[in-house]
Amino acid sequence: MESPTPTRKLGFNVDAAAIVIALTFAALIRLNVIHRISW
Amino acid sequence: MSAQTIPMPTAARQPPRSQQLVALLPGTLLLFAIGLAGKGLESLGIYLRAHHHYFPRIEYVLWAIILGLVLSNVFTIPAIFRPGIATYELWLKLGIVLVAAKFVFADVLHIGGMSLVLVAIELALSLTVMTVLGKIFRLPPKLTSLLAIGSSICGVTAIMAAQPAIDADEQDTTTAIAAILALGALALFTFPLIGHFLHMGQQPYGIWAGLAVDNTAEATVTGALYGDLAGRMAILAKTARSAFIGFVVLGYAVYWASQGQAARVERKALFLWQKFPKFILGFMAISVLASLGFFSAGQLTSLGNLSKWAFLPAFAGVGLRTQLRDLVTQGWRPILVGVLGEIFIALITLGMVLAVYHHGAAQ
Repeated sequence: MESPTPTRKLGFNVDAAAIVIALTFAALIRLNVIHRISW
Repeated sequence: MSAQTIPMPTAARQPPRSQQLVALLPGTLLLFAIGLAGKGLESLGIYLRAHHHYFPRIEYVLWAIILGLVLSNVFTIPAIFRPGIATYELWLKLGIVLVAAKFVFADVLHIGGMSLVLVAIELALSLTVMTVLGKIFRLPPKLTSLLAIGSSICGVTAIMAAQPAIDADEQDTTTAIAAILALGALALFTFPLIGHFLHMGQQPYGIWAGLAVDNTAEATVTGALYGDLAGRMAILAKTARSAFIGFVVLGYAVYWASQGQAARVERKALFLWQKFPKFILGFMAISVLASLGFFSAGQLTSLGNLSKWAFLPAFAGVGLRTQLRDLVTQGWRPILVGVLGEIFIALITLGMVLAVYHHGAAQ
């Protein structure tokens, strides 16, 4: 029986991707490649 | 942490990686579009009220959730968007890692450490109560285990981690996930009301939301709906709670193995590491860098703002994946056990937080 709400997993490691993206942005901001991010 | 409950087609073989990434684009764009629409509506409200027109005083967080809820519950989301909607988990974790820039590491240790003590007490009580309620209402034992794990630790991710470990069947897992998600949706709307009614401060409210709301996404939103600081505190408390996931799942795996109804766990240390939410390490790393003066004040503000941009699609995803009909289609007993258990957990954690802050232990 197919369940009504099965779970979909992404095809990559979400935790690792989040850390890599965060550290990349942190480095770009630290090196002033990105000067300012406003909200 | 949270997972995604969009119906999955039964594909026999995996498409190439590049095709998978392209398939994520429509849903990802939809998440950002809804999030930006929420932010736009908040700005529109500010503008209209300043010019003496009526517009509901609703923040972007709630707008994003409402828009997502309406889209997914009133209309049918086309299949092309479904893979990308699952990326809300990535944006949520990215936002959490980046928001660490707003924490001094000493505060992380202090408040996180205090949260760990509260989490340990909450865990013991909630696991016991959910187990007793499951027996009273004669739920299948493994469904009771899944509900206990989901409500005491980390919602859907904990249930997903526990399913193979205790060899639970798909139907019980689906029911437990639906119950936890539906109850999380209720928390979004009830917790801020209770917080305002009790005149709770930002910090105790945030800690309470982080301790009591099951999914990281819903806990983050429940905190953010109360205020910026409350949102950050909810993340900190929830992160401390998530750190326990491996221990609780391991405990249940060992129990069901002893009953001959699940495989034995041979390498327990490896099991704990595999279940540990690794994004917590990124959170700690950014917090340490921020505390060591690695970033200027302006750069810390930029990182904090970037975390808000990351949370925007995540909040939209919370609305999009919440199916209100799950409240009625999963049968009344799991929902009733969940509701009673959640009320108990909410009251216990509220009492603990108020006691801690009343006695000044958190200052």
